[in-house]
Amino acid sequence: MTDKKLNDLEDLENLPGFKRGNPTYFENEVIDHLISITLELGAELWVIKDRLAHVEEILSEENKLTLDALDTGKPSALLQEKLDEERKKIIKRIYGRLYSKYGGEEVEEQSAI
Amino acid sequence: MGISEAIYKRGKTAGVFPSLSSRRDEAYMNFIEDARNLLLHAQQKPIGEYSKLLLKNAGKSMEPDIRSTEEAIDLLMNDNVLKTYYRIKRTLQESFWECTYNSLNMRKNDLLEALDDAEKIGPGTVTYDPEFSIPKYATSEIHIQPGGNVNEPLSGLLYDYGSKVFMGGAADNDMFADMQASSIGTPQNGEVNRILDLGCSAGVTTSALKRIYPDAEVYGIDVSSHMVRYAHARALEQDYDINFMQMLAEDLDFDNHHFDIVVANLLFHEVPVSISKKILSETLRVLRPGGSFTLIDFPGDKTRDVYTMFFGAMDAADNNEPFLPGFVRSNVEEIMEDIGFEMSPYDPNKFILAARIGFKPNN
Repeated sequence: MTDKKLNDLEDLENLPGFKRGNPTYFENEVIDHLISITLELGAELWVIKDRLAHVEEILSEENKLTLDALDTGKPSALLQEKLDEERKKIIKRIYGRLYSKYGGEEVEEQSAI
Repeated sequence: MGISEAIYKRGKTAGVFPSLSSRRDEAYMNFIEDARNLLLHAQQKPIGEYSKLLLKNAGKSMEPDIRSTEEAIDLLMNDNVLKTYYRIKRTLQESFWECTYNSLNMRKNDLLEALDDAEKIGPGTVTYDPEFSIPKYATSEIHIQPGGNVNEPLSGLLYDYGSKVFMGGAADNDMFADMQASSIGTPQNGEVNRILDLGCSAGVTTSALKRIYPDAEVYGIDVSSHMVRYAHARALEQDYDINFMQMLAEDLDFDNHHFDIVVANLLFHEVPVSISKKILSETLRVLRPGGSFTLIDFPGDKTRDVYTMFFGAMDAADNNEPFLPGFVRSNVEEIMEDIGFEMSPYDPNKFILAARIGFKPNN
């Protein structure tokens, strides 16, 4: 990280972040993979919970289910609101403990700004 | 299939963001967006305090210089909590791009045809050159977005939806762009006939400028043809008469004194400092005397501490922001003054992203 490199148009390839890397953060990269795996499993579990809730809503209202309605439709605004609330609770409950060392599991949701 | 039908096949989300191709993808991205908000954005303040305590207890310098920043990286990235935070950050970034890319790519032909069709109609125009020479610095896969801004025909759509997720709700209904546009400088004598948005990407700020000055001629330029093609379609959907052009901000194809207002929103940290200086010279050239230039971007290192420099250096390396550290260390408001702008008082703490406002002198 030197000023020369940061400003040098001829040496772009060596600037940190110019080329896409594949960073790992732990000495044992298996830990990196395990964190990524738990996040991916959480996302996929949520996809299934979301779909099940959508199926239940359609069946309770129309007694007829089509794949198209599930794949391209959207749940009602009321159900979406409930799903949004539940999803945040799940993420906080499952993953918040990763930051318990400084009390980060207690924080409230926040956008980028 | 009509333009709107192709791009908004499943409707719109939070304004004019196109909904993803399936409910499955939407649910997946809802999870990623909330995970980012809870496990990244909401942690920034407490993890910053935790990091500063680690630095203080280790007797490290809090000065924002390069050496102290390198020492902070060595110390903090040896801590398991910080390692976990950055692992989560990188994984969520990779996941949201992969899902967004796959979701849009399954409709790629329809989407590209829609952009072709949009070119032929107005309001507004789009011009680009398939033989345009792209500078190498612009080819980085910035934000680890697949293909970056210039090498993926769907980059405009990708960036637009990506920014929705990245901002965690703050960009919904173009709120963030409206907030940023509200901070721009009004030219001396108040007359506004022509406005230029440099590095307009998906045209979100450009549209916000049109909302403020509906009677002005508004132009958005970007190095990427893919970006200006989508920006035009996005503006079309909102019925805005805006001219989007593929053009380099450091080589503007406009006459001297042509614009009353020039804006660059989050462009400067994405170009090398040597290019920044050329952009500023060109901006001064195309502004009319008394015209205003507003540069919205991250604050410079003179107003930062070592933790924020550490945070920026990690973002540069792992979220492909290669020019961010150089920009922050350049303290661009001083370069603006050197190049000839008359600067308004600059307060880096006044706004979420600092707005530097300069005017072209009247003589």
